[in-house]
Amino acid sequence: MLRELRILVSRPLYLFCMVIAPLCCCLFFTTLMNEGLPKNLPVGVVDQDNTSTTRNIIRNLDAFTQTGISKQYANIAEARKDMQRGKIYAFYYIPKGTTDDVMASRQPKVSFYTNNTFLIAGSLIYRDMRTMSELAKGAVGLQTMQARGIPEAAARAFLQPIVIDTHALQNPWLNYSVYLNNTILPGILMLMLFMMTVFSIGSEIKNNTQKEWLEMADQNIMRALLGKLAPHTLIFYAVALGINVYLYGVLQFPFHCSVGALMLSTLVMVLASQGFGVLVFSLLPTLRLALSACSLWGVVSFSISGFTFPVMAMHPSLQMLSNLFPLRHYFLIYVNQILNGYPIEYAWKPYLALVIFILIPLPFLGRLHKALREFNYIP
Amino acid sequence: MKENKSLYQHFLRAVSETFLIWRRECVRVFRDQGVLIFFILVPLLYPLLYAFIYTGEVVREVPVVAVDQSHTALSREFLTRTDAAPDLHIIAYASDMEEAKTLMKEQKAYGTILIPSDFSKRLNSGKQATVAAYSDMSGLLYYKAILSVCTDVSLDMNREIQIERLGNTTDEQDNVSTAPLEYEYVPMFNPQNGFASFLIPAVLILIIQQTLLLGIGQINGTAREQHTFHLQLPPGKRNGTFRIILGKSLCYFMVYAIMSTWLLLAVPKIFSLPQIPQIWDLMAFMLPFLLACIFFAMTMSILVFSRESCMPLFVFTSVPLLFISGVSWPGAAIPEIWKILSWIVPSTFGVNGFIRINSMGALLDDVQQEYYALWIQTAVYFFTAACAYYYMIRQSRRLALKQQKEEKGTDS
Repeated sequence: MLRELRILVSRPLYLFCMVIAPLCCCLFFTTLMNEGLPKNLPVGVVDQDNTSTTRNIIRNLDAFTQTGISKQYANIAEARKDMQRGKIYAFYYIPKGTTDDVMASRQPKVSFYTNNTFLIAGSLIYRDMRTMSELAKGAVGLQTMQARGIPEAAARAFLQPIVIDTHALQNPWLNYSVYLNNTILPGILMLMLFMMTVFSIGSEIKNNTQKEWLEMADQNIMRALLGKLAPHTLIFYAVALGINVYLYGVLQFPFHCSVGALMLSTLVMVLASQGFGVLVFSLLPTLRLALSACSLWGVVSFSISGFTFPVMAMHPSLQMLSNLFPLRHYFLIYVNQILNGYPIEYAWKPYLALVIFILIPLPFLGRLHKALREFNYIP
Repeated sequence: MKENKSLYQHFLRAVSETFLIWRRECVRVFRDQGVLIFFILVPLLYPLLYAFIYTGEVVREVPVVAVDQSHTALSREFLTRTDAAPDLHIIAYASDMEEAKTLMKEQKAYGTILIPSDFSKRLNSGKQATVAAYSDMSGLLYYKAILSVCTDVSLDMNREIQIERLGNTTDEQDNVSTAPLEYEYVPMFNPQNGFASFLIPAVLILIIQQTLLLGIGQINGTAREQHTFHLQLPPGKRNGTFRIILGKSLCYFMVYAIMSTWLLLAVPKIFSLPQIPQIWDLMAFMLPFLLACIFFAMTMSILVFSRESCMPLFVFTSVPLLFISGVSWPGAAIPEIWKILSWIVPSTFGVNGFIRINSMGALLDDVQQEYYALWIQTAVYFFTAACAYYYMIRQSRRLALKQQKEEKGTDS
């Protein structure tokens, strides 16, 4: 263990990957999404009618938090061009004669266009523009009905008989930072855990020091591994807890379980990732190939764990495959325990899966031992 | 005259030496299995896996629980329509909220729709009635599905209720009085709001940059570890950094010209993602992007001291780079400091330019800013790559000499 600590200190690569990179990523993602939801996304307006009614619609649209009117255009072609240039994410089109047509009950039509190659911006603006259009419709209706002498409450009940009241549980602000960072940051930690586990074992073969290492542990592979990886566990666990303190303590992300449960889930995550790393190296005792496999697994985790695009919408074969990724199980534990604060009995399945990841290298340790004794470094 | 001739000969020799380095580099790349994985295998297969993950594009049939406390024809009508919508699926009708909560805890449902007991009574007496929708926030797409379906159903039913109350005589009258102002939504460039159409183009560009970083890092890491970097110089020369840079980058460029064609033209076609580029504009744009990426990777390889360390160093950066490029997170909402830092990497401009040319049919003219930025990067990184290689060659020679001396020392 002391020997491993000396190795860790001697190479700056370890310091970078175990501490600096995860902490920098933590800082990066939390400041990037500091606002929770993007504000004042640039949007264009094509107002060919230009009456007080339409100007009012535009002013109201601008008042929405996510939408910010950045420019007025004379026609659709110009607005479309600016969209292609990346200057605006969407535009609202009001054709000539809209106000007159409303007065004359000719049912005019306004339209809005969003650029959905930027999905998040597109959806947010869509929500604002649709609400605005409904409001405009309602406002026009309200005016007409009040002109006929119907009281406002009755008019509202007539215009919108059914109202939907949505409750976004545990994240009512739809905060993207809460939604993404709670899984991205553990994902990056896991990627580093995979790689550092493999890298430290593989370096023994590469530097031809595996004999020395095994002798220190009296040829007991179990003891050798525990001694080698325990310092990693401690350092990564400390980093992970530091990130947790920052997310839930400083940034006040939703946190609905006990501190003990949070520490337990983090510990299980760290150990499971190390278990996975040992497994990979036991199966592929070539440093380069094992690292490649870890990179692949670690990066694909982000997509397949289902925190952006749900697993239920993937192909059935991928749904099965997702079980082989520790991040998937950690994500389920996070949702169940930390975000929703449900009792632990509903999270036993992902916990069991992570425990299996911790134990899974055991049957392969003999193979690893053999590899360490017999294999030479393959570039 | 003589002077001129020797200059010309000098030039000829430089060219032939450059091509020698190019040929050697090609041999090196194609003999090194590790580099081939990054240059060929990853760009070939990785996008397929990614596109496969997102191939569903949208989420359908999000499971929800219904709690109908009204038990009337109107409330049943609301729920039937909700269930009929493609995005939601009612898996159970619970008798109370507790039962619904249990189903959500078991992750069998991601949302609950609650219709209160006075729903029909209020509607029939001409008052506003409320339907409550609860959504699990583990995925924003669940929330989006629940919100949009409930809103759509309520708007449809609202219209019908209004028509019933009005008792107009013609359809035309119905239309005008329920909706004095119509509106229409036109989603552009990604009409089905698909996840793959949105994310994959950015991932493709990132794959080019990241595999170049990893591959070149591995090539140079190997040479530095063995102290053989200086042996790559033209035979019998002590310097020749520019020839090395040109020869090597020509090799990488050729490999990536082919890989980019596969990544940027074939992959979107196979998965029928939105693809409307002007082909010459796309090619003109990719030229500085590839060059900038190559020289960027050559510069960054100064951080790689051994063969394998490129992976722990570079792989994780893919995730922040994807976000900083302004696709996952809108560019307009990125804090200024990160925006400026993002100008360092070619992928920021590459992703934005490619998406606009490929998915939005922009012309080179429309991505002018990105295009010039990439050329500036190419120039800057060419220069830094030259410095980095000059340093690495000298360092390698020094270390090799030291090693030789040590060996001699132990011999005698």
